[in-house]
Amino acid sequence: MIRELVTRFGRENIGFLWVMVEPLLFAGLVGVVWRFMKGPEEHGVSIVAFIASGYIPLTFFRNAVNRSVRIFTANGSLMYHRQIKILDFVFVRCLIEAIGAMMAFVFIASLLIALNEFPVPADLGALIGGWLLYWLFTLSLCLILAPLSEVSDVLEKLMPVTTYVMIPFSGAFNMVSWLTPAAQKFMYYSPFVQAMELMRYGIFGDRIDAQWDTSVPLVASMVCAVIGLAMCRQIRRRLVIE
Amino acid sequence: MIHCHNISKSYPMGSGRKQVLNGLNLTVKPGEHVGFLGRNGAGKTTLIKLIGGVELPTSGRVTRDMSVSWPLGFGGGFQGSLTGYDNARFIARIYGHEYREIRDFVEDFTELGRQLKMPVKTYSSGMRARLAFALSLAIEFDCYLIDEVIMVGDANFHQKCHYELFEKRGDRALILASHSPDLIREFCDRALVLHHGQGTIYSDVNEALEIYSAL
Repeated sequence: MIRELVTRFGRENIGFLWVMVEPLLFAGLVGVVWRFMKGPEEHGVSIVAFIASGYIPLTFFRNAVNRSVRIFTANGSLMYHRQIKILDFVFVRCLIEAIGAMMAFVFIASLLIALNEFPVPADLGALIGGWLLYWLFTLSLCLILAPLSEVSDVLEKLMPVTTYVMIPFSGAFNMVSWLTPAAQKFMYYSPFVQAMELMRYGIFGDRIDAQWDTSVPLVASMVCAVIGLAMCRQIRRRLVIE
Repeated sequence: MIHCHNISKSYPMGSGRKQVLNGLNLTVKPGEHVGFLGRNGAGKTTLIKLIGGVELPTSGRVTRDMSVSWPLGFGGGFQGSLTGYDNARFIARIYGHEYREIRDFVEDFTELGRQLKMPVKTYSSGMRARLAFALSLAIEFDCYLIDEVIMVGDANFHQKCHYELFEKRGDRALILASHSPDLIREFCDRALVLHHGQGTIYSDVNEALEIYSAL
């Protein structure tokens, strides 16, 4: 049934490809700009590849989070059918964003590999594992944000600025090992950074000094998911459907 | 069988809450036709939504032992940006039916023709009612929840609904919320009068209608 919803959202969105093109453009252009600003390489890796690999997960996260705002009200008419549970909405949105982002990732990686700007992934397992962790944490965060946005208007206003401010803590533009020890300690607790480090290791292998600890995103996801699921349950009772 | 056990529903209103239903009990047996009467805002639609599981009661329980349609009302249950065919496909999928059968039935019943290729949001309320009816009849529920939609259709549509719902499917249960005494008198065996969050069930429909008109 979840798959049915996917096709449904696919149909709704005639230009499904935009889901992929948007992060692609972002990552590509930002990567190019950085390249001209800082030269072709930094810390021994291609800067375009580095930025692209960091920016795509970040846009995925931003889209997923923004889309989960008021997701239940927006889909209220579907709630007329008892088979459809509110969790399906959050799940499907995150899945669609993730598919779009991964398509963008594969696309840009193949293009850059052809141009010799991007290394062939050193450890595909680590790359996919990093993606999964990133997705898991984003999903569990959305599980909290979606019900919260139904009760609080303030949240909606705060969301863009928060996602912007968190960019430095997302690991999109730097590696932990480039930072000062104090900052490193701090970054250790960011689930995004942990997932990004794993992803980066998957791409660049031993040419970078990646440090990761999968327990951080896993534990964070678990905690968020439990809170989020409880909140979704609560909100279902209070939801008013037109 | 549908049981509503001591259900209450309140909505936030300003700083307080508005108690729409307060400790209501109701049992609908298979094949029964129950009419809901009540003034505007008495909670007819709310009760139908609770029975249909669209919203959940603030307290109390609703148990359903038979398949219950989604509430057939004005917009609900459709995705406005999708075409009539897309909505039919979606409904066929989530209820596990063959899309082709549903499509044929919908085409035949609604007589909307090419309009079915247009987004549902461009439909008039009468056209929506046709589509909603067609889809729920195609799925074959044991109990239909109808919220005043019959009223918007034209004579031809009334006739069709009458045939499909009361002649072909006379053995199904039906819950009908309406202001029209004629409809209730014609189609219902029992009637529930909603007033001040309480519901009183009358097995004599005429008695219920008298009480309702005196409210």
